[in-house]
Amino acid sequence: MHSFRQITRILAAGALLTGAASAQWLNLKTPNIPRTADGKPNLTAPAPKLPDGKPDLSGVWDADRSYLVNLAKDLKPDAVQMQPWAAAIYKERAAGLHAHEEPDANCLPQGVPKIDAAPVPWKLIQMPNEVVILYEAFTQFRQIHMDGRKLPVDPNPIWLGYSVGHWDGDTLVVESNGFNGKAWLDQSGHPATEKLKVTEKFHRKDFGHMDLEITIDDPGAYTKPWTVKESPTLAADTELLEFVCAENEQDIKHMVTKK
Amino acid sequence: MFARIIFASVLLAVVPASAQWLKVTTPGTPRTADGKPNLSAPTPRGTDGKPILNGIWQMNGKYLQNIAADMKPGEVPYQPWAEQLFKARQDGALGKTDPAARCIPGMPKLDALPYPFKIIESPGMVMMLFEGFTTFRQIFTDGRELPKDPNPTWFGYSVGKWEGDDWVVNTIGIKESTWMDNAGRPHSDALHLIERFQRHDFGHLDILLTIDDPKAYTKPWTVKEDLRLIPDTELLEYVCVENEKDYGHLAGK
Repeated sequence: MHSFRQITRILAAGALLTGAASAQWLNLKTPNIPRTADGKPNLTAPAPKLPDGKPDLSGVWDADRSYLVNLAKDLKPDAVQMQPWAAAIYKERAAGLHAHEEPDANCLPQGVPKIDAAPVPWKLIQMPNEVVILYEAFTQFRQIHMDGRKLPVDPNPIWLGYSVGHWDGDTLVVESNGFNGKAWLDQSGHPATEKLKVTEKFHRKDFGHMDLEITIDDPGAYTKPWTVKESPTLAADTELLEFVCAENEQDIKHMVTKK
Repeated sequence: MFARIIFASVLLAVVPASAQWLKVTTPGTPRTADGKPNLSAPTPRGTDGKPILNGIWQMNGKYLQNIAADMKPGEVPYQPWAEQLFKARQDGALGKTDPAARCIPGMPKLDALPYPFKIIESPGMVMMLFEGFTTFRQIFTDGRELPKDPNPTWFGYSVGKWEGDDWVVNTIGIKESTWMDNAGRPHSDALHLIERFQRHDFGHLDILLTIDDPKAYTKPWTVKEDLRLIPDTELLEYVCVENEKDYGHLAGK
């Protein structure tokens, strides 16, 4: 967690402050961005559309990291009804008793949807049959298949799951399953199981602003589905950095474990 | 590294394959009368006449172990220090100093992993999605220049352009600690990689890889790596740091 939350920010800040930013394509002008008279990106211009009329969601997006610590921060306490075991483990994790075991503190993938709220940006590339999200976080990717295939039945559980997408009007609806139940949904430790199904609804409101509605449906951990709404913003005129978690990782040995 | 090769093989053998999209039918694949992919069909081309490189590809495994596998002894033009370091690494005494042993991938070894990667062309950028380490390269085709004096990274900075039917990728800014193969061929911070992608037919791709590193080698040298298309499947997830047991058994410090 520390490696992710703190070191990244320090590294990224350091790179931005001390490196020749232009040398790293961090200040490259993104083509096709509407601009105001002073040359700044006009983030309230209309969302771009593709020739088929669908919105083009492509771009580098700053995650809504306010949901990294607590995915349920906007919800009333009774909106997230945990199974008893889940409530018990959540209480301990939120108290910091398991920080050492948090997967991404150990350079393991963040899982979905936590990776969407990472403190570093992600880049969405929209193509007709596939949407790819490149995450600066740990330099990982997700593929979202748009070719009509169905979600796998009883898939081999993995960290980032299996994802298919379809359009509902102007909203890209991404459904994912096949998670291994090891990832935490946020840093405070909302748990998940292999029964987790995540639905992400991406809606680009205007050029610079996205609504990302996320529904957690995991009867193994929660008695009913719950939904949150994140708000990623476009990161114009920049590019992803490389982020290798296992490089010079020094935090984990300082972190608490209850074991 | 070997442990993971075995692991992947086991996974492929015991898991119901259809459940993981391992047996999807890749659309647009030419097929013979019996429905099998016709890997010797002509190279697919876009409306601009250029070869399309999209697909899931796997490199001949020998180049991971030895990038100079096809060269004769004495043909690799080492600078003295580079040859000395290579020989020191070759006996296995420095296994722990290979960043890949600590689950840190790097170029050019990334391309040569024994797991497939997927090439996806998009406007202005070509992605390589690697099953190995579940990571990616971005190769920019929007006309930008390579950065000057970039902050060194494990994968470097890459731009691509067409030269006839060859797609030529230039990469610089690679951290000097990466090994170019498991045998331990070194490089310096001056490394400039030139990858020339040549899709000869539907199922076969060569990468002519030129290593231009005047600090480590007296002249540029080129190897030809062959790849085959893996049709009708999908990438698996591979997480190196999960249950990693190899590093503790490697030599070195």
